[in-house]
Amino acid sequence: MDSVVELKQVTKKIRGKTIIDDLSFTVQEGEVFGFLGPNGAGKTTTIRMMVGLINITSGEITICGNSITKDFEKAIKQVGAIVENPELYKFLTGYQNLQQAARIIKGVTKERIDEAVALVGLSDRIHDKVKTYSLGMRQRLGIAQSLLHNPKVLILDEPTNGLDPAGIREIRDYLRKLAQEKKLAVIVSSHLLAEMEMMCDRIAIIQKGKLINVQSVRNEVETDKKTYLCDVNNRKQAIALLAKHHIQATEHTEGIQLLLETTQVPDVLKILLQNDLLVFEMKVIKKSLEDRFLEITQEEAIMHA
Amino acid sequence: MLKLIQNEWVKIWKQKSTLLMMVLVILMVFAAGGLMKYFDSKEPPAKSDWKQELQAENKNLKQNLEQMDMAAPSAIEYQKKQIAINEYRIKHDLAPDQERTVWTFLRDSTDFISFAGLFVIIVAAGIVAHEFSWGTIKILLIKPYKRWKVLLSKYLSVNLFFLLMLAVVFVTAGITGFVLFGSGEAANNVHLAYVDGKVVEQNLFFYLVKTYALNSLSVYMLVTMAFMISAVFRNSGLAIGLSVFLLLMGGTITNLLAAKFDWAKYSLFANTNLMQYFDGIPLVEGMTMTFSITMLLIYFAIFHLLAFGIFTKRDISV
Repeated sequence: MDSVVELKQVTKKIRGKTIIDDLSFTVQEGEVFGFLGPNGAGKTTTIRMMVGLINITSGEITICGNSITKDFEKAIKQVGAIVENPELYKFLTGYQNLQQAARIIKGVTKERIDEAVALVGLSDRIHDKVKTYSLGMRQRLGIAQSLLHNPKVLILDEPTNGLDPAGIREIRDYLRKLAQEKKLAVIVSSHLLAEMEMMCDRIAIIQKGKLINVQSVRNEVETDKKTYLCDVNNRKQAIALLAKHHIQATEHTEGIQLLLETTQVPDVLKILLQNDLLVFEMKVIKKSLEDRFLEITQEEAIMHA
Repeated sequence: MLKLIQNEWVKIWKQKSTLLMMVLVILMVFAAGGLMKYFDSKEPPAKSDWKQELQAENKNLKQNLEQMDMAAPSAIEYQKKQIAINEYRIKHDLAPDQERTVWTFLRDSTDFISFAGLFVIIVAAGIVAHEFSWGTIKILLIKPYKRWKVLLSKYLSVNLFFLLMLAVVFVTAGITGFVLFGSGEAANNVHLAYVDGKVVEQNLFFYLVKTYALNSLSVYMLVTMAFMISAVFRNSGLAIGLSVFLLLMGGTITNLLAAKFDWAKYSLFANTNLMQYFDGIPLVEGMTMTFSITMLLIYFAIFHLLAFGIFTKRDISV
């Protein structure tokens, strides 16, 4: 996998105030990369820097190896983006809006426009004025517009804002499809955790302009080991017993906690039951991103307190 | 670049207000022609002995001239010019315009340039500022074009629109004038100009084109200014307000200032009227054509330095 977007020690100061502080991360092709943080954390500012709408105070952003500041035209060619709302010319029809974009980028044919329109399912309304469109339709037209030139990177700022549940699902599936089938690097930002968890492969958490953590959403898939909680009557004895069999366990408020491969689970149970311990429950603890997010941001808050 | 201009052109014309402006300008010229025809028919100009009239007028002017040696030099020059032209007419048997022709109507139609200019200012004021208020500046500036190219394409589109407006006024006035007033006597269709104390004959069509071009100059500078304000302050209201105010009042204010202060000659409006060097007397003594052109170029450069300098550097955070 090649990294398509690279941020190196990016800092943004506005009137002496540091908005983005030393941000570095990379985004690979074919992945949906989430950009998560509370409101005002600097998500939109970072996205604006990535597309060259605002200046970078220090550091560098490259897209497919081209610096967005020094080699703007080359770099931005590989980018399709919607920054905040899908802004369109309301007095033009959907099709005319796409023509505006198609006209000034080389290699966008009429067929390509029709293809993009069909892709976002706007074929029957494309010749209506944009002012008659619903927010969801505008969002879709915006995506079609940013995909016209077959970019390598698609950047969407709060793509599900203002959409109904069906619309959100539609966008989500569509973005995953783009990443998987077309090998696009998709970058989305949001302050909605659950939303991001369903959509993204990796998530960068930022707070107060600083990168706190980059997490893989599907941890378990990568490691095979899961965390189990076992409710057993004599915890100390259980831990000692398991230690003899080289299985590490720790005490937990509701029992003992173990990191196991699935195939180890019957063994553990056998050991405990053969030693007359009472097992009331054995379950996988799946830490949701929300827990992790809160955990991480709280740690930070405590550290700074 | 051409494609960018084409895009701008599409955006200008897909806004309904643009077509309305065009229709208003055409109607205005029609209406003015119609009104003139109506008043002429009610009160046909008396066919009198124009030579005698001019002689009488000159006698008056000369008397005035003797009494006004204390007056402003420009006023004295103006009287001298009138006398010289009148004498030339009598000598060469060139009757002054006694009736309206397509030529006089075209000459008078330069007044509509300001009216058309008003609309061009509105377009220039909106062409950058609207992109900001619509938020579409964001999609425009993340296309593979450097910012100065985007801005230049907008300015060139405004220029095209201005040229089109001028052409519309000229052609409409030409057609209206010809239909309503006819082409007049060929022999009388010359323009008399007063240059360096002498009267010279000029080709009328050439004179008209020149008049159009020179009259457009002040409007053009204001259009450029409106464009600059639009790009710098992202506010179409401010750009329209300030530019239209100056369009209406700029000349008057400058005249008032010029009567008192010498430095008024450095102001924009003291220099936009280049006609003063062909047909009349400079506003402030000592001003020359070269001086005015230099001043205009300086203003032009300042407007564009501001517009391009700020537009290409600024953070876009709408």
